[in-house]
Amino acid sequence: MSYPITATAIANCLGTEATAVFERAFAGTTGFIPVKQVYDVAFDTVVGEMPELPTGDTLGCAMTRIATLVLASARQLRPAVHAAAARWGPRRVAYVFASSTGGIEATERTLSPLVALPAGPAYHYANHGIDATSNAVTAYFGIAGVTLAISTACSSGIKALSSAVRLLDRGLADAVVVGSADSLSRTTLFGFHSLGLTAPAATRPFSKDRAGITLGEGSAFVLLERTGEAIASLGGVGVGSDAYHHTTPHPDAIGGMIAMREALDRAKLSPNLISYVSAHGTGTVQNDATEALAIRSVFERAVPVTATKSLTGHTLGTAGLTSVVLAIESLCRQAIPPTLRYSPDPALGVTIVDAAARAQLDHVLVNAFGFGGSNASAVISRTP
Amino acid sequence: MSFEIVAASWFSTDHASAGDALAGVTRPPVLPTFPLLIARARRFTSLVTQMHVQVIGELPIDRERPPASVFATVHGEIQTAERLIAEFPLVSGARFALSVHNSPAGVYSVAVGSHAPTTTITGTNAIAAGWLEAVLTVLGGRPVVLSIADEPVGTVFQGPTGTVGVAAAFLLQPVASGRRASIALVDRDRAQTEPDMMNTLAQLVDAIGKPSPSTLVLGSVQAGTELELHLEAR
Repeated sequence: MSYPITATAIANCLGTEATAVFERAFAGTTGFIPVKQVYDVAFDTVVGEMPELPTGDTLGCAMTRIATLVLASARQLRPAVHAAAARWGPRRVAYVFASSTGGIEATERTLSPLVALPAGPAYHYANHGIDATSNAVTAYFGIAGVTLAISTACSSGIKALSSAVRLLDRGLADAVVVGSADSLSRTTLFGFHSLGLTAPAATRPFSKDRAGITLGEGSAFVLLERTGEAIASLGGVGVGSDAYHHTTPHPDAIGGMIAMREALDRAKLSPNLISYVSAHGTGTVQNDATEALAIRSVFERAVPVTATKSLTGHTLGTAGLTSVVLAIESLCRQAIPPTLRYSPDPALGVTIVDAAARAQLDHVLVNAFGFGGSNASAVISRTP
Repeated sequence: MSFEIVAASWFSTDHASAGDALAGVTRPPVLPTFPLLIARARRFTSLVTQMHVQVIGELPIDRERPPASVFATVHGEIQTAERLIAEFPLVSGARFALSVHNSPAGVYSVAVGSHAPTTTITGTNAIAAGWLEAVLTVLGGRPVVLSIADEPVGTVFQGPTGTVGVAAAFLLQPVASGRRASIALVDRDRAQTEPDMMNTLAQLVDAIGKPSPSTLVLGSVQAGTELELHLEAR
């Protein structure tokens, strides 16, 4: 079943407000900075750090980095959620939150053997969990529906959409706030570097000379309602497992193909009707090659593809919803956000949108793939 | 929201059975043997992943048509996170890769060759939320394996102080001709605290193993309510 998306919010290295994020994204600018401006590390890469929030607003919980990121989107979405709560009743508005690393950055400040980590809020274990901010967020929104937390690495945001659809389908909610956030952290920076996956310079998804990931941070929220004045609609969500290796994608791209085909089936759409694909597009050699194979297999035509991680960096568990919110804005603008720093790789066989392009856009397929062979896709459609 | 429970399985580092756990009968701590995994896949797996794989491996899963899977955990890969941070800045890439909450889901899907959907539910309400997610998935028409597990949290976190690793798995399917069960959100005006993981899982496995009807509180997924599981008589 298709559900209207009635409001969105987004924050990341492009800005702390949707208007700033959209203006910069569709203008093809980014906000990456050398990692050494953020962390004292021995290797070169760049990262996408969210600018500081204006002071004055707060959540009713410890203001860790993840809480700050969550607040950046929650404050944008708050009026729409208040309206939904008034319309449906607070107990009929659910909250599904997704993150890959949750409060790990706060935990690092206390447990790390590295000296001179800057002090954060007083440490409490409750700040570590994926759901550490959930009670504060529901209070901030004034909602009291079902609350869930999802954590499936970089597919988390789209899998949260899948859970939200189940709540709506089974009548357990009339509206669902679906949110996600992930912060920069030493754990992910050191971890991806150890795996040889951090790019020495800004990421170049699907390029011939692509060299890895640019880590970012951010948050993205959408409000799904049973009915309402939609800015776009969620047509369908699909998920599939690679069943191959924990970090290496299936060589035949099976999980990704299953996810994309299931999303299309649920949206009752032929691949021919998809205007463009917002790829997971991490910028690693293997991931991009496998995703390109999956796209070629599902579409059998030169569907336009873009990779928004070239704009925002890889925001991990919030990558999927970040792409969804940008896809919704693209449908409103009738323009595709560009893939920056692109140099063609004929071996991939996909058509990359490397400059902001106006086009007739009706449906966007968004991919989010993650560790554990966890693949998820969503179809976002323009409202008539 | 009705469904069937086909089978349940149990593991505790300190209790040989759910009944022993409920009776307070302990044993010297043991680790899971998790035979589902080949040796290569065992390296770097945490206790919580091993326990998930152990209990799922004891369920009668149809490998030709593997069920969807829902993994639930309060703390996730908390011991792995502790080890990674202790290693800073030279962390193990393999350990990092297995630090995500859905590591058990990935390891399991590789072990059984399942391309079926999987998700991982976490948070303080993981037991109730995991059951809700699993049952909503069953209502979509396909069998689901629900696996719930948690490992002890290191003292360095100054958090929960339990020392027992515990896991249980449940194979659920749409209503057919077997023993019927259902879940329901029930309004409660009493103060809500999340149920103890070990006792709740032990009560579940114990009750499912008995023919008598029973009702168990799984925890809260919504303020002012509790999620209850009702088991009909077998």
